Amino acid sequence: MKKPLLAIGISLALSVPLAAQAGPKEDFQEVYSKAQSTHQDAGTFQWTITGDRLKAAKSAADNGDYEKAIAMADEALKLAEESVAQRKQQKEAWRHVAIGN
Amino acid sequence: MLKAKVILVALGAALAVPQALAGATPEEDRKETVEYFKQMFPDVPFEEFVNGQYALNDDRRKQWESMQDFPPYEFAVAEGQEMFETPFANGKTYASCFENGGIGIRQNYPYFDTEKNEVITLELAINRCREANGEEPLKWKKGAIASISAYMASTSQGKPINIKVPDDPDALAAYQDGKEFYYSRRGQLNFSCASCHVQNPGKWIRADFLSPTVGQPANFPVHRAKWGELGTLHRRFAGCNNNVRADPLPAQSEEYRNLEYFLTYMSNGLPVVGPATRP
Repeated sequence: MKKPLLAIGISLALSVPLAAQAGPKEDFQEVYSKAQSTHQDAGTFQWTITGDRLKAAKSAADNGDYEKAIAMADEALKLAEESVAQRKQQKEAWRHVAIGN
Repeated sequence: MLKAKVILVALGAALAVPQALAGATPEEDRKETVEYFKQMFPDVPFEEFVNGQYALNDDRRKQWESMQDFPPYEFAVAEGQEMFETPFANGKTYASCFENGGIGIRQNYPYFDTEKNEVITLELAINRCREANGEEPLKWKKGAIASISAYMASTSQGKPINIKVPDDPDALAAYQDGKEFYYSRRGQLNFSCASCHVQNPGKWIRADFLSPTVGQPANFPVHRAKWGELGTLHRRFAGCNNNVRADPLPAQSEEYRNLEYFLTYMSNGLPVVGPATRP
């Protein structure tokens, strides 16, 4: 009676680390989708170079080069974060330099 | 003690009120802007600002003047006139869509349509005219639309730009959006339109000589040597955004139309000189 339970327990215990261990494809998808959504958050303040990096990341992933894909997606994410910061900063900063304000 | 507090509050309020009122209206903005450029270039006659860099740089002006005997946009203007006068499939022409048959009206564009609650540029009106008459819209940045717009501008040459911001909260919001766009830094290079055309006109940025804000829209559509053809103002907006590594917005997007509204308002009183040539 106890043997089947033990077998289930062992197989469950072994499967947890396997499920938690993401491969390079999953790592890429996570950072790529975060970079994409941050790029969208920049609204009308998107940077051309962010789009270039996203395209390069996608292209590398399509070719199975996940190391390059992750590096490009990481860069895209950093650039997108800077563009979002610019958007937030300019919300008020433009007034300080505008003639007539 | 109470008296002192009252005096301090009153003093604070007195100082704050003029600050709040400064630049409160488009006309105040325009006057301050014109004064700014007059002080920056005291030797340049005001009407010369419509010639952009040619008003500020003698070498560039000589090159430009030598081109004026045979301006490179002449054929495009002739084509634009032909298209303007050719009836649509339903027998009507562009003239049916515009005040005064579309002749001599460039100086009134863009305007704020209080019924549709949006800025109407000349190019938008041209394409809406086509669609209202069962025709396909033209592409926005170059080609036929630039030629038709250039022909219409040519019939307004010398007429003072006369943009109005009606007493309407939506019109004022559109103007303010355009102003915010003009002064907001964008792109990886962190430049605003104003970084070049307010803070640094008369200077070189790499191979480009920077023109001042006032007068800029008076000469569009322009034939740029770089393009080798005529292009619209929104094509130029997109090019400027791209130069600073900011994603350009679509031509005739609400943002670019509001930007054109603000920018053209700043040139009120200056004559239409479009189409024109630029490097």
